[in-house]
Amino acid sequence: MTQSDATMTAQAGGRRLLAGTSAPLYWAAVGVLALAGMLITDSYVQHVLILCFLWCMVAAAWDLTLGYAGIFNYAQIALFAAGAYATAMLTLKFGVPPVAAIIAATAITAVLGLAIALPCLRLQGEYVALFTFAIHLAMPPLIQLAKGLGTGGTMGLMGVPPIKFFGLTFGPLNKIGWYYLALTAAAISVYVIYYVVLRSRTGRAFVALRDSANFARSLGINEFKYKLLAFVLSALVTGFAGALYAHYTSVVTPKILGNEFILLAIVMLAIGGIGRFPGAVLGAFVVTILNELLRDAGTYRLLILGILVVLTLLLLPQGLASIWERVSRRKHKARTKLKE
Amino acid sequence: MTQFLEVIFGGIAQAAAYSIIAVGLSLVYGTARTLNFAHGALYTTGAYISWILTVGYLGLPLWLAVLVLIPILFGIGVAIETLMLRPLRGGKNWRVTAMMVTLGLAFVLDNANLILFGAVAKPMPAFIEGTVSIFGVTVSAYRVAVLIIALIIVALLEVFLNRTRFGWAVRAVAQDIQGARQVGIDVNRIFAFTFGLSVVLTGMAGLLLSPIFLISPQGGWEPFLKAFVIVVLGGLGSTRGAIAAAFFLGMVEAMVVYQLGASWTMPVWLVTLLLVLMIRPQGLLGKGQSEAAG
Repeated sequence: MTQSDATMTAQAGGRRLLAGTSAPLYWAAVGVLALAGMLITDSYVQHVLILCFLWCMVAAAWDLTLGYAGIFNYAQIALFAAGAYATAMLTLKFGVPPVAAIIAATAITAVLGLAIALPCLRLQGEYVALFTFAIHLAMPPLIQLAKGLGTGGTMGLMGVPPIKFFGLTFGPLNKIGWYYLALTAAAISVYVIYYVVLRSRTGRAFVALRDSANFARSLGINEFKYKLLAFVLSALVTGFAGALYAHYTSVVTPKILGNEFILLAIVMLAIGGIGRFPGAVLGAFVVTILNELLRDAGTYRLLILGILVVLTLLLLPQGLASIWERVSRRKHKARTKLKE
Repeated sequence: MTQFLEVIFGGIAQAAAYSIIAVGLSLVYGTARTLNFAHGALYTTGAYISWILTVGYLGLPLWLAVLVLIPILFGIGVAIETLMLRPLRGGKNWRVTAMMVTLGLAFVLDNANLILFGAVAKPMPAFIEGTVSIFGVTVSAYRVAVLIIALIIVALLEVFLNRTRFGWAVRAVAQDIQGARQVGIDVNRIFAFTFGLSVVLTGMAGLLLSPIFLISPQGGWEPFLKAFVIVVLGGLGSTRGAIAAAFFLGMVEAMVVYQLGASWTMPVWLVTLLLVLMIRPQGLLGKGQSEAAG
């Protein structure tokens, strides 16, 4: 990428990369989902959509670091697990009320994100990828070693209590309650990431750093500060999603760190497209639903998902979002031709 | 004391095999600038293929199995490079996409192995039985063989890289892709060749280590991570550095396992990785790699 390209990205970045959806359209989509919540009565469909909402948060937060800030962060599921474990341990071992535990778990994950980001940001490129992935790989044995602290070891933790506030109880059976809770959490998180943070000066700095780090630095953008911010914010949202997930399923086991979850998250970004809103969010919906449809495939499910990652990246390197862009570019071309 | 020395020797023998995996990883990372996340899964795949060739189904003698195994592994490597990585190279954000493709491939291989061979680890008999006594320390003859074979493989690789024209071309690409292209080196051919060679190396390590560790579908991640730490510590593209780093880290691991138990292995490697990266944050390439190659 040349410097003039980078200037263009830096200037137009916020607008062009997010051109996919305007804020009113976004809230309209959220509104449609809110209305749909009243019409859906099948508890399985509700369950799948709740999972979609929670995964949206994870995918959007990952997109922030990997797609926009250009940090090769592969500790995403590790952070998700940290949020889930933090809230489970706080409620079960220390008797903290669920709402306070979720807030604390979110904060703990953000601090953990900071702790991971600090050494990472001194590293370059693939070394970041490897270090963060090593954290992911080291987590199950660490959970096992820390069994004495109340992590539950390989068995995990069961009976994470339901969330209670304003006299409402969000138990595993209160699907309609969870539907709106997860929708609200996801809608706000996604809005904050894509519309508030990425459209601000901060977001443009992320993109400029990703596309031409040297040039961005020469403009006086503090690389360390911005990347740290991206990482911590991403960890915060991920930890929040993890904590909600723990209370929703009421069970937290090291299975979170197994093949399935990280593979799902990768497929979401691969299918949706990295660094192109609404790619990752759409990817979260498509993949969560696909994963449920593949339940019957048993052991073949993860193999199919893996093949899907490879194929989408090869055939559609920029994900579903690129189809959208290709269509709009063709329209644009046709329009300019007409003018001529 | 003798028990301690035995543990240390075991660690060194394993580390020698790790250094082969590390050299393979560093060859690809050094030339094609791709971090191959499937390297560990390919290690496991190599072990499974050799299991099929020997005790599993075909019952071939070891020398014949190795002769069959090498071209298979090389073919797999060339196929991955030409079909999966070459189309991505040069595209937008290709370094992230390339990493994700190899990560996707790793999960494909892991799950394919799981479906084909089951979750229960496959045992592989040691090719050499018995024990050898060195300076009063008794060690299994197999570990001594692993150490010697690994050293021979690394030595052969060193000769290849330093004494043959093709080896020079590989090193030229590793130093400067543009420059290599200008002097008429077919860069894509070098990428394909080094990837093939790298899969041969990791697969051979899979064969060597399977009698020690058993073969399981997810068993490749640990060697992959260890290989990377070795690469970072020993220096990218330096086979001798990889050997030295592998021996040092192998001894550290052996001592930790001896003192604290095997469950500490991964955390210890993680801490080692962290320390190594803190001391040499750029890795050992020195210059701004992400800018130069991106």
